[in-house]
Amino acid sequence: MTITLAIPSKGRLMEKSVAALKDAGIAVTAGESRSYRTSVEGFDGLEVLLLSASEIARELRAGAIDFGITGEDLIRESVADPDMAVSFVKRLGFGHADVVVAVPEAWVDVVSMDDLGDVAGSFRARHGRRLRIATKYWRLTQSFFSRIHGIQSYRIVESLGATEGAPAAGSADIIVDITTTGSTLKANQLKVLGDGVILKSEACLLRSAARQREAGDRALAEDLGRRFAG
Amino acid sequence: MAAGKDQIGSALDELFAKRGAEPAEPPIILPAEPYLDTAGEALRRRIFLTRGESGENLCLRPDFTVPVCMRHIAEGADLPRRYSYRGLVFRQRADGPAEFFQAGIEDLGEENRATSDARAVADALASLDACGVDLGTIDVILGDQGLFEAVLRALGLPEGWQRRLIRTFGHDGQLRAALGRLANGPEDALAGIDPQLVDLARDREEGTLTRLIRTRMEEAGLPPHSGRSPGEIAARLIEKVQVAEARLSEGALHILEEFLAVDCRLDEAGERLAEVMGTAGLDLGRAMTTFETRNLAMRAANVDLSRLSYRAAFGRPIDYYTGLVFEARMRGSEDPLAGGGRYDRLMTILGAEAPIPAVGFSLWLDRIGEVVNG
Repeated sequence: MTITLAIPSKGRLMEKSVAALKDAGIAVTAGESRSYRTSVEGFDGLEVLLLSASEIARELRAGAIDFGITGEDLIRESVADPDMAVSFVKRLGFGHADVVVAVPEAWVDVVSMDDLGDVAGSFRARHGRRLRIATKYWRLTQSFFSRIHGIQSYRIVESLGATEGAPAAGSADIIVDITTTGSTLKANQLKVLGDGVILKSEACLLRSAARQREAGDRALAEDLGRRFAG
Repeated sequence: MAAGKDQIGSALDELFAKRGAEPAEPPIILPAEPYLDTAGEALRRRIFLTRGESGENLCLRPDFTVPVCMRHIAEGADLPRRYSYRGLVFRQRADGPAEFFQAGIEDLGEENRATSDARAVADALASLDACGVDLGTIDVILGDQGLFEAVLRALGLPEGWQRRLIRTFGHDGQLRAALGRLANGPEDALAGIDPQLVDLARDREEGTLTRLIRTRMEEAGLPPHSGRSPGEIAARLIEKVQVAEARLSEGALHILEEFLAVDCRLDEAGERLAEVMGTAGLDLGRAMTTFETRNLAMRAANVDLSRLSYRAAFGRPIDYYTGLVFEARMRGSEDPLAGGGRYDRLMTILGAEAPIPAVGFSLWLDRIGEVVNG
């Protein structure tokens, strides 16, 4: 009878995750440098794995792990119907970051999504192509633009890094990206639209709804959930 | 069911041939770019995408209109010309199977729009009849984006507002929201813009604005020859200030709402529209002539207008539709058995060198099969 919990494998997210577990009475010690395993004290039958934050989102969706700590942005981006596939046990109060729509500061006429809708709507007639958005969040972008703001005419340019540089590089007109302090955007002379915050994300403890569990493990999972509920 | 489908199929093949449409047989695996480009990113989650060996996006045929039009452009065939199609299409849907049969006709290059519009409606109804659908049991709803655009023009709305409202046509909720913003007092659409720039825009100092914006773009290292230009941004800022300070008078809003509420038999629509617009002393000009001429052409094509309804707010929110749109549904259902419309913008988007008038319709054969076979 064991249940698994995956936490981010490096950086501040890992340190803060370990601290959050400690607050719940669970002491996690990382093993040898390259190991993904840890030793756990304070909760019998719990195994804590170290994985990358985006892998944690995928494994939760697949039901390969019982619990995971990862960013809400990654869950909402990588899972089609997050409220069905996972349950949010607790928002952990660290790893704050916003997923935002940002346009060049030189676009002095664009301050809202309505403005952007106007620009996107006439973009093809003027430039012979759609407005291009660089992002690694295509699912969040689509549902924000298409479903919430009714903007259909744009193309997503998949970006795998340094998204904020895309407008200056000419590979996209605007971006959807994550920001914590806004300083990277500012350094690239980009501004966030007034109503352009798609998601206020933070690290969350999540429970997989897809995971099949035996009765004993189910009880363990309930226990772990309760530790954090308070 | 299979036997029923074969009957429907051969009845349609025969009808399409009689109506002078030549069969187009586009492949099932198609380049995805034209779809993403014409229908927009929202389509991405509804089509089956894959990547070819050299990295190009490919998809399973989600409709026939785009490949039929593209084939026509590639072959450069003479116009006018009618193409028919019948076969499987593939879409990801929450309810219903992901592959289903469609058939239909695309009518390209007919300059007489009233005639070809009427023919699309008449042929769609004749197709349903040929499949064995009792036309007495269906609703046929017709809308016309051209009339909506004409009403906005006649009301004298600033162009920026006209475009914003036209984009929402066919999306009731979004249209309502946009109207609400247009009617309510000064919105803070100008908040967040450098007040000095707003003043320049109010004074229509386009040259000065353009220079200021160009400087900012240079500082940010934006490429000067791709995307929005300084002049374009300056012009839109001027228009935006104008739009933000325009209000829709209560009278005008009332007329617009009364227009959007029109929902009547098609043979009574002309009179009803004349009533709404005439009381306000407005003239819809060419758009009204187009509407009336189309109705005459439908009568000439033996369509019983008293069986069709006209809904002023009925549209299909895809930005290449330009005029007539229509759907035939089982009475009381929201699912179309047939649907179509005019898409005069599509051919140039897909690469035609000159604009080509185009109108067409498609039939949902699986739904029709269910209706016919019980």
